[in-house]
Amino acid sequence: MQYNVIVIGSGPGGYVAAIRCAQLGFKTAIIEKYSTLGGTCLNVGCIPSKALLDSSEHFHNAAHTFKEHGIDIPMPKVNLTQMIKRKSEVVKQTCDGIVFLMKKNKIDVHTGVGSFVDKNTINVKSADGKETTLTTEKVIIATGSKPTPLPFAPFDKKRIISSTEALELKEVPKHFIVVGGGVIGMELGSVFARIGSKVSVVEFLDSLIPTMDGTMGKELLKSAKKLGMDFYLGHKVTALENKGKEVLLKAEDKSGKVLELKGDYCLVSIGRKPYTDGLGLEKVGIELNRGQVPVDNHLKTKVDTIYAIGDVVRGAMLAHKAEEEGTLVAEQFAGQKPHINYLLIPGVVYTWPEVASVGYTEEQLKADGKSYKVGSFPYKALGRARASMDLDGLVKILADKNTDEILGIHIIGARAADMIASGVTAMEFRASAEDVSRMSHAHPTYMEAVKEACLAATANRPIHM
Amino acid sequence: MAQQIKVPVVGESITEVTIANWLKKDGDVVKMDEVIAELESDKATFELTAPQAGILKIKKQQGAVVPVGEVICELADGGQATPNSKPEVKSNSIVSTPTAQPMKSTDGIKEMKVPTVGESITEVTISTWLKKDGDFVKLDEVIAEVESDKATFELPAEANGILRIIATEKTTLPIGGLICKIEITEGAPASTAPVASAPTIAPVSSDKSYAAGHPSPTAAKILDEKGIPANQVQGSGVGGRITQADATNATPAKETKPAASTTPPAIASGGSRNKRNEKMTSLRKTIARRLVAVKNETAMLTTFNEVDMRPVMDLRSKYKDKFKEKYGVGLGFMSFFTKAVCAALNEFPAVNASINGDEIIYHDYCDISIAVSTPRGLVVPVIRNAEALTMNQIEAEIARLATRGRDGKLSIDEMSGGTFTITNGGVFGSMLSTPIINAPQSAILGMHNIVERPIALKGEVVIRPIMYLALSYDHRIVDGRESVSFLVKVKEMLEDPGRLILGV
Ligand SMILES: Cc1cc2nc3c(=O)[nH]c(=O)nc-3n(C[C@H](O)[C@H](O)[C@H](O)COP(=O)(O)OP(=O)(O)OC[C@H]3O[C@@H](n4cnc5c(N)ncnc54)[C@H](O)[C@@H]3O)c2cc1C
Repeated sequence: MQYNVIVIGSGPGGYVAAIRCAQLGFKTAIIEKYSTLGGTCLNVGCIPSKALLDSSEHFHNAAHTFKEHGIDIPMPKVNLTQMIKRKSEVVKQTCDGIVFLMKKNKIDVHTGVGSFVDKNTINVKSADGKETTLTTEKVIIATGSKPTPLPFAPFDKKRIISSTEALELKEVPKHFIVVGGGVIGMELGSVFARIGSKVSVVEFLDSLIPTMDGTMGKELLKSAKKLGMDFYLGHKVTALENKGKEVLLKAEDKSGKVLELKGDYCLVSIGRKPYTDGLGLEKVGIELNRGQVPVDNHLKTKVDTIYAIGDVVRGAMLAHKAEEEGTLVAEQFAGQKPHINYLLIPGVVYTWPEVASVGYTEEQLKADGKSYKVGSFPYKALGRARASMDLDGLVKILADKNTDEILGIHIIGARAADMIASGVTAMEFRASAEDVSRMSHAHPTYMEAVKEACLAATANRPIHM
Repeated sequence: MAQQIKVPVVGESITEVTIANWLKKDGDVVKMDEVIAELESDKATFELTAPQAGILKIKKQQGAVVPVGEVICELADGGQATPNSKPEVKSNSIVSTPTAQPMKSTDGIKEMKVPTVGESITEVTISTWLKKDGDFVKLDEVIAEVESDKATFELPAEANGILRIIATEKTTLPIGGLICKIEITEGAPASTAPVASAPTIAPVSSDKSYAAGHPSPTAAKILDEKGIPANQVQGSGVGGRITQADATNATPAKETKPAASTTPPAIASGGSRNKRNEKMTSLRKTIARRLVAVKNETAMLTTFNEVDMRPVMDLRSKYKDKFKEKYGVGLGFMSFFTKAVCAALNEFPAVNASINGDEIIYHDYCDISIAVSTPRGLVVPVIRNAEALTMNQIEAEIARLATRGRDGKLSIDEMSGGTFTITNGGVFGSMLSTPIINAPQSAILGMHNIVERPIALKGEVVIRPIMYLALSYDHRIVDGRESVSFLVKVKEMLEDPGRLILGV
């Protein structure tokens, strides 16, 4: 079978690339080794984690805030089996949606492990051992990533688990230990903290979500502590063992003081690594660089007809980044010249309050020696936040000291994830803080905090403070 | 009554001008004889003064190309009544004078012009602005990178103050041309944005902001596909931003848009059919002009010979490790050629001479120019007094100059004044070529690739590593006998390197 484009991997990078290729008139196939399409994001990542985050937040509200709102109910109970079942249905519907989209766009789906025979020939080996050979002009590698284990404690998938197993637990953990205070650790940690687990987070660095603006990590720490989570920052895990009914974790702080934690589950969320096992890259002479498939600015590998996108290449491991890259590569095949401004790919943490950022962090601006000004505005001063009782949070705007151009937007607070899109728009058009402050923002909304923070940044003149 | 102002006749052969810069904004009150705009032709930049006082109404935007005689703006009556140049601020009762002036203006404007950078340089191109229009710049701070055909150099600010860019990136200016102005201020801007507190009165669209020329994401894609740099498009969006419509309507500087690119790309091949229009760099333009000039103004011809490279290669492989160990530089062929050339030049001084009007200048020294290919084009740094240097000194000097060339760091001094040039097309695989003289020099030696060829030696066919040599020379001062003998001499010394030592 001769294709114009074969996409290997059906995550958000791969399936979006396939659809865009098909839209542009290329004969396209997608290869996925699992029986469901959608990759990490739809099956064991973004979508299921958000399903559980929402369910657990509802529970938390029912248990803690309804009373204040004037809703008296008997103390609610967690039905984890139902929560997981609902999550699985959400996942199934979303994945089925991808199957539909493949049909609609006349994209051939081949189920099995795809591997290179040569640069134009791909072998697909399905689970039952059947092999098919496909030929193609161009290949897009979108094989994603896998969780990284601690070097001394591989995942046993029973007590020492990755995010994948954490999304399938059969019981509410009594003590849920999280190694790594990044995005995935904080999200899944808060799921279990809300439904009654004791949660302890052990992090090597001195702050949470360390790639984001420092203020965000600090504020997130405060709100997570309010939720009852325990934190051991600046601790290096030295041992982790499954003792049968429980796990035993040992860690050391900088002074060498030893910490011992016992819990029933330990989630290791210290990062993810690019996944290329079984892909046969050696057949086409592509060598990995720190696990990643090396690509140029056009996402082209060293082989002219082979491109790579998403988690398997450099850059943030985010679904929407993978999607933009998929679109870019497909459009390049059609001779178009799209751009991706990587600085303006937003980062989001779906805790509650949520954290969302775009642009430079204050730490980066300092390190680059840029002259900047800061404007921030707390949720506490917002009518909207008081009405909904979501008072934790703030918006922080970083702007160029001379031109007032917005250089970074950092939000922690209710609905930050949705709000950051308008920050991306403003920055794509290089708006100044004053520009944003002169646009009408509906009242009462959380977005008013962005407007106020812009007023604060432009000339320190917020109205409601 | 409004008076129309047309593009004046500025010179015989000039038919159109580009509006380089509006110094006054639409709606500004201008005084008689005040400079309101800067116009640029392919020959020079000049200022447009107001023939009478009035309120300015701009008809043609900055960047527009306007034929001579066409209206570029109008001056409406009403200017005389308000001698102050900022009447709109005064007449607006809401605006109070800002209380704290963040920066003190010391009412001076420093005009920065293209400095004289070297003897033969007549024009430069602004390659990059390191500071943006409106930025505060400090005295001696580097604000731009400027490129001439010889070198790239940095432009330091000549005053403290606010930068007003006149010549945008990629503009070519003659020596003395206006690059930018600095509105001189004392001290740095205060922490709050200096203008933010005063409500904007002037229409926003005519205000050049830091984001002027910034394309929206779709506009950027469209422009790239059309091959039009964003700085050639006049943005109609807020603050001069380039909107999607601006990009859709933009046409390349010269109308050469291929019809093919509007048809959908061939899907099966996915191959692009785009063409690109790129402005020639100063370096490229100068190379082009010079090469043509040399062909036209000299009596150039080429003589050939061949060298059996075996002896040099043997010598080199025997000693290259020791040489490297002792001197820290590799032993290449260039040092042999340079040495041989110097000895031959000594014998045939006309080859090392140049013509200056009615005179011939003979050089008692050999400054050998070495052609080096760099990412920016060909540059020709000079090895001074090569005749007095040892082999290792020559190799070290070549290595140093080549690195500086690749990094774009060669100074004009390092590239001027050579008396003879060696160029090696062999590194790219050339078998034989006729190099063009590097004026005002009189000759150039072309080296080529080394290929094993069968030759007849003492009545037998043997295989030898052979390099063809070419000497292009200016027949006006070098006779055939001299040029041919020169090349034979070079050949003989390379085939018997012992002669290099003995000087025979
Ligand atoms: C718990 C969790 C929560 C997350 N939440 C978010 C979030 O909220 N927002 C966000 O932006 N990102 C989130 N992410 C990250 C996001 O899931 C990834 O960035 C995204 O899935 C990367 O997409 P991709 O297309 O590069 O690869 P993937 O989604 O990993 O897809 C790769 C696919 O390729 C298949 N494959 C691999 N090798 C082969 C082969 N040889 N042959 C055939 N198929 C193959 C794999 O089976 C897989 O299905 C989360 C991740 C996790 C783990």
